[in-house]
Amino acid sequence: MGIFLAPPLVLFALVVAYPTAAALRLSFTDANLLGGAANWVGWDNFIDAFGDKNVRHSIRITLIWTVAGAIIPPAIGLALANFLRSASRFSTVMKSALFAPIAVSLVVVGQVWIWIYQPGGLANAVLGGVRLEGLQQAWLANRSTALWAVFAAWSWQQIVLAMILYLAGLSSIPDELAEAARVDGGNRWQVFRKVTFPMLAPVTTVVLSLVSINSLRNFDLVFAMTEGGPVRETETLPLLVFRVLLRELQQGEASAIALILFLITLLVIGMFTWWGRRKSSDL
Amino acid sequence: MTSKAAPLLRPPGKRVRRRLGRVALLVFVIIYLIPILGVALTSFKTNAEIAARGIWAPTGALTVDNYLSVWRETNTPRYLLNSLLSTVPAVAISITGGSFIGYALSKLRPRGGTVIFITVIAGLFVPPQVLLVPLFTLFRDLGMIDTLWPIILVHSAVGLSICTLVMRNFFDQIPDSLRDAAAVDGANDGFIFLRVMLPLARPALAALATLQFVFIWNDFLYPLVFTQSDGVRTVMLGLLAVQGQFTVAYGTQGALAVLASAPTVLVFLIFQKFFVRGLLAGSVKG
Repeated sequence: MGIFLAPPLVLFALVVAYPTAAALRLSFTDANLLGGAANWVGWDNFIDAFGDKNVRHSIRITLIWTVAGAIIPPAIGLALANFLRSASRFSTVMKSALFAPIAVSLVVVGQVWIWIYQPGGLANAVLGGVRLEGLQQAWLANRSTALWAVFAAWSWQQIVLAMILYLAGLSSIPDELAEAARVDGGNRWQVFRKVTFPMLAPVTTVVLSLVSINSLRNFDLVFAMTEGGPVRETETLPLLVFRVLLRELQQGEASAIALILFLITLLVIGMFTWWGRRKSSDL
Repeated sequence: MTSKAAPLLRPPGKRVRRRLGRVALLVFVIIYLIPILGVALTSFKTNAEIAARGIWAPTGALTVDNYLSVWRETNTPRYLLNSLLSTVPAVAISITGGSFIGYALSKLRPRGGTVIFITVIAGLFVPPQVLLVPLFTLFRDLGMIDTLWPIILVHSAVGLSICTLVMRNFFDQIPDSLRDAAAVDGANDGFIFLRVMLPLARPALAALATLQFVFIWNDFLYPLVFTQSDGVRTVMLGLLAVQGQFTVAYGTQGALAVLASAPTVLVFLIFQKFFVRGLLAGSVKG
């Protein structure tokens, strides 16, 4: 038995468990990557973090992103899954094609969406085509649109993730149930709201958890598209940790901010798990 | 309505509507995939053509020059090789390790098994940024910065969480009597694991392999933090490097993007069923 457990657990302890504990310890010190002894500073890093308006901005946009991320991609993914549900051969091929974005890396997604958002890019061309020239702009350079532009690119991929999971969920619900409800006089929307959606509660929990984790650890796409800019407008918590660690070389402060992110993750996941349990006990 | 004549009996209005539905679906899928189609098309256009007519012009003479120039004038072959050399070992180690832990917890039931399980699964929720800070110092002290080792080690270890979860759930569904019967016949646990359990677990292993391959190949953060010189860059890092180097050479950038995405998109299209199952297995029963 030791042979099965020891090697992988040693690896896990060294690369995951120990660093997590070390990050906790570091967050109470003023350690930096320039060398020199680290001093114990108590809660200073956390107090400084909450007092810093850049950190507060990062926390705020990370939370906004997470809330929007838990609503928009899952809702659109669910709607698409409902439309694509029919099992004809043609739509099976279409579905396979539609799944492809999930296999493309966020760096590539970022690259092509930069092309879309460029001043001479597709977004402005489409707006010009429908006579909305007034809305044309440099989407990623404009402080008021940059965050939502990156969010839209991210949603493009996360919608597919939600759709895949909802399609799997829908296929496990027997058709008879919805048909019975229809016979009883329910219209399509009522049947969906009262029968289908409640039965999808476990899948919804999974979708919300996965999408939220992706929201909270999304580094690649923001880095590829804006590197946190313009100024620090799109600097979400993962990017902030990266900057504080590798540009400012402040290990202690970076650890504290990373742990704030960890705490937010645990709260969000805890909330969805609690909601999922309550929903499934309702049934 | 299962007989072959059924469609003929349908009122014509319904058939027309179904056909319209298909066309609408096709149009929708094409529009949704414009970002992917755009990269692919751009990669076959000359940079001069793109400069003259813009990236998104739907026409133009097609050429494979961009692929040739990316292959010859940039470090792309090296980037792709580095991605392969870091992804394949990490996929193999995480899945092997996860199978080991999953099997031991499910069938050998060690004392403290629940604590081990919860600890390993908790790894799913630790943001990479928490690990980065101490790992950077650890790998620096071990002299591993600017090699592929940190990428392999981190993905092997981080991947243990999802692999353990999926494999334990899988082994839980296999009756204990199967192991007991083999044990009565005198087989030791190593033999039972290799010859009895793993062959049964093929679908779960395939699901994890697909999931982990896509995830690790596409990762950007760990290579970014742990490597510096061009010779150790993975293809995702190479992509950004080439973007900086060939700022307006969109065709060249597009060709590299296609080369960087081809392995995961192909694996995904071929093993799609497994990928979806892996996502669900890892999450629903958690």
